Amino acid sequence: MSGERTRVVLAVNGRRRALALDPRTTLLDALREHLELTGTKRGCDRGECGVCTVLLDGRPVYACLALAAACDGARITTIEGLASAPERLHPVQQAFVAADALQCGYCTPGQILSAVALLEEHPRPTVAQIHEAMAGNLCRCGAYPKIVRAIRAASRRSKRR
Amino acid sequence: MSQRFVTTTVEVEGREERVVVEAPEVEPLPWGPRARLDRVGSRVPRLDAAVKVTGRARYTADVRLPGMLYAAILRAPVAAGTVERLDVAEARAMPGVQALISPPDVSDIQWLHEEPLLGLRIYYHGQPLAAVAADSLLEARTAVAAIRVTVRGRRHHVGVDPEKRVRAARGAPAPPETVKRERGRVRRALREAPVVVTQTSRVPVALHHPLEPHGSVVWWQDDRVTVYDSTQGIFRVRRELAEALGLPVNRVRVIGEYMGGGFGSKNHCGAYTVLAALLSRKTGRPVKLVLDRREVGTDAGHRPESAVRITLGADRDGRLRAIDAEAWVALGVDGWPGGTTQIARRLYRCPNVRTVEHYLYTNAGAMSVFRAPFYVEGAFALESAMDLLAKRLRLDPAELRARNLSDVDPLRSRPYSLDVLPECLDDVTRRIGWGKRRRRPRWARPGPDDRTARGRGVALEIWGAAGGPPAYAEVRINRDASVLVITGTQDLGTGARTVLAQIAAQVLGVPLDQVHVLLGDTDAGPYAPNSWGSMTTASVGPAVRAAAEDAARQLREAAAGMLNVRPEGLVVRRGRIATASGRKSIALARVTEQLGNIMIVGTGHRGPNPESVTVMSFGAQAAEVEVDLETGEVRVLRIVAAHDCGRAINPELAESQMHGGILQGMGYALFERRVQDPGTGQVLNPGLHEYKIATLADMPQIDARVVTKSDPVANHTGTKGLGEPPIIPTAPAIANAVYDALGVQPAELPLTRRRMMQLIRKARRRR
Repeated sequence: MSGERTRVVLAVNGRRRALALDPRTTLLDALREHLELTGTKRGCDRGECGVCTVLLDGRPVYACLALAAACDGARITTIEGLASAPERLHPVQQAFVAADALQCGYCTPGQILSAVALLEEHPRPTVAQIHEAMAGNLCRCGAYPKIVRAIRAASRRSKRR
Repeated sequence: MSQRFVTTTVEVEGREERVVVEAPEVEPLPWGPRARLDRVGSRVPRLDAAVKVTGRARYTADVRLPGMLYAAILRAPVAAGTVERLDVAEARAMPGVQALISPPDVSDIQWLHEEPLLGLRIYYHGQPLAAVAADSLLEARTAVAAIRVTVRGRRHHVGVDPEKRVRAARGAPAPPETVKRERGRVRRALREAPVVVTQTSRVPVALHHPLEPHGSVVWWQDDRVTVYDSTQGIFRVRRELAEALGLPVNRVRVIGEYMGGGFGSKNHCGAYTVLAALLSRKTGRPVKLVLDRREVGTDAGHRPESAVRITLGADRDGRLRAIDAEAWVALGVDGWPGGTTQIARRLYRCPNVRTVEHYLYTNAGAMSVFRAPFYVEGAFALESAMDLLAKRLRLDPAELRARNLSDVDPLRSRPYSLDVLPECLDDVTRRIGWGKRRRRPRWARPGPDDRTARGRGVALEIWGAAGGPPAYAEVRINRDASVLVITGTQDLGTGARTVLAQIAAQVLGVPLDQVHVLLGDTDAGPYAPNSWGSMTTASVGPAVRAAAEDAARQLREAAAGMLNVRPEGLVVRRGRIATASGRKSIALARVTEQLGNIMIVGTGHRGPNPESVTVMSFGAQAAEVEVDLETGEVRVLRIVAAHDCGRAINPELAESQMHGGILQGMGYALFERRVQDPGTGQVLNPGLHEYKIATLADMPQIDARVVTKSDPVANHTGTKGLGEPPIIPTAPAIANAVYDALGVQPAELPLTRRRMMQLIRKARRRR
């Protein structure tokens, strides 16, 4: 796009990333198109489905509804930044694998990040808290029963630690 | 010598086809009910779970190629009419625009009803009229918005209304012919039946809405076209795209590595794929064209709206004497006259059945099959009518069903390969605590908080999930004894990768992590069918097993030489090849190491289906609901489900499939409905905010049981499909539970608050 560029600095998965962006660029496009972090999915571009959920300073947000420029200086965690190493999955990722809490996998990164944020805030979430935290992440394959199972399992594991 | 090419019957999405099939010289012995298997039948985590939970799985929209352009589509602003002027000059000159195609560029490519791919005649709101490729998506969309289009509108028709006689889309070709079928003599049987009930039910247009939007990345490079596509059928897309472009199929390669759901809406080559290919040819650069959510909700297929009138005649003891069903189905601009009433001819024993189906084209995007197409709609009609009959007879609805189960296939009067429907019905009623039925509405008595009513309902399903040929696979054994399975199927999220690996690991006696499955690439794998019709496991599974058996045979022959024994008595088990007694054996890895670069390549294909029996899959669901009598809200508290899939290769994944069908079925019952504005023909709720699918907070308790019983007559792996059947009985079970709670029957889906309040008022008047 011709015209002005905005300078945006994001701390993405612990790495400082300086970008010069069209001011209309969403956080989702900054991640997917400029930083090539395609683990964050695009499903609707209007905050309807939740597949683009990332953590912004630890809180879950829809990346399609956030302007990248408005996130200047923020800490962003995407699904790529959750596992400390490819073979060392985050406990919530492990729980999703073990519970078969995914089918096509397209909503999975967003589900996992919402679940991570939930468990940060409520290490032992109630049913109502799980509903509240997860209802904004749609899954068309119907993995919900096992997503709940995975969240419960991850919650138990973190209690033991 | 036996004949190599024979014909067999394959049922896909309720439609039977006779196909020519290559009969295997030797079919492996079936894995019967007592076969001792360890890899097959185990609940191993899906093999691609780790790449999916880490975001490394690459879906079509994630594909990024050097110099890639982004494309967007201009869509018709009216539901019917003619394009009088399409002024693209301004758009073409906009920054970043690299190519633009409009009707004159593609007049030679035929699309719906032999109309050009981009035509001047408009049949529905949202029909593609032009496409732009630009350096960025923003630029492509900005340019599309700058195209000036002048149209002359005409009257359009949407929806279906049996009372008013349906009228088809103006200017559209004649609708498909009305389909009439009759066995026995229905009119006489209805006259003579002591009890007759009639019910007209209506179901809305439902949208698939896979969370990964439809889309393709296409690179026309020199004389080859490479397509990354989110599709349920790579081979079908290859054929249809090659035909559209006038290319031999070997110049088109279709790749679908990871796929974000389809549910029936991604079975064909999309117009978007052809447009992306043409834009790539024009520019020489790869082009990404991914639909946005609103385009998915407008022009990516749907389950059609229909009305079904069913009359049931029965004896006083509930035995069905006659079923008379008539359906009116609005397909959209194009579609498949499937079989809305087929389940009425198939689910119960009944000597006299007449079905009539009227199809029409309307001014809306084309329908496409959607998870158990037509059976979902037909089951709601039939199973609602059954509960009406039960009430008239003062008979328990589960008992009424039990009395009408057929021990042979009513359609063809021949036995089933394996019938587990009675078991499924017993199982769900027992687990939900059906007990003695009270026919009095429960809300007549105070509920837990005096403003709710609870009820239970049951419904059954039957589905042709036998799978069938052709389907091919190749199994290669490497010198380190690792295994590569190659087949041209695709994994939509079903777990195909995992179950095919389990089958190969079983035959070759190797750990699962030693097997890699390569699928989703037409250049790599031999042919496999579309992943639809619940047919992948029961079609490709046997092909993979046959290929692995072929590889195992070659390994035994190699080992025989090394062990100085005859190959016939050798068995492959737990990483070793051994004589039957076990006295002599050799590690598989030693055999392959000694073979070095000698390739062990096993090939296999799916054999014909059995001819003298009918292979079906069966299932039952029971629902418990709570109705809020003040707000009309329906909460599904519990779904108990039992579904048959023959032998479950992986019960964990089978259970996940059941959850998926049930939750989609619940959404269909409670909230899903595409609304088309009667005035403009525009889809008013194409997005996921207005078109409601179930969220996690809507989830009931789901008790899903996979009835795993090998069906060795079906095929030598004993499997049947499970992808679609679990969606069939959910909506009628929920509606019947509402009927139980209120004493009045819902006849139209979804069960919106407004409809529920009308029902509740009716119930109060009756009290």
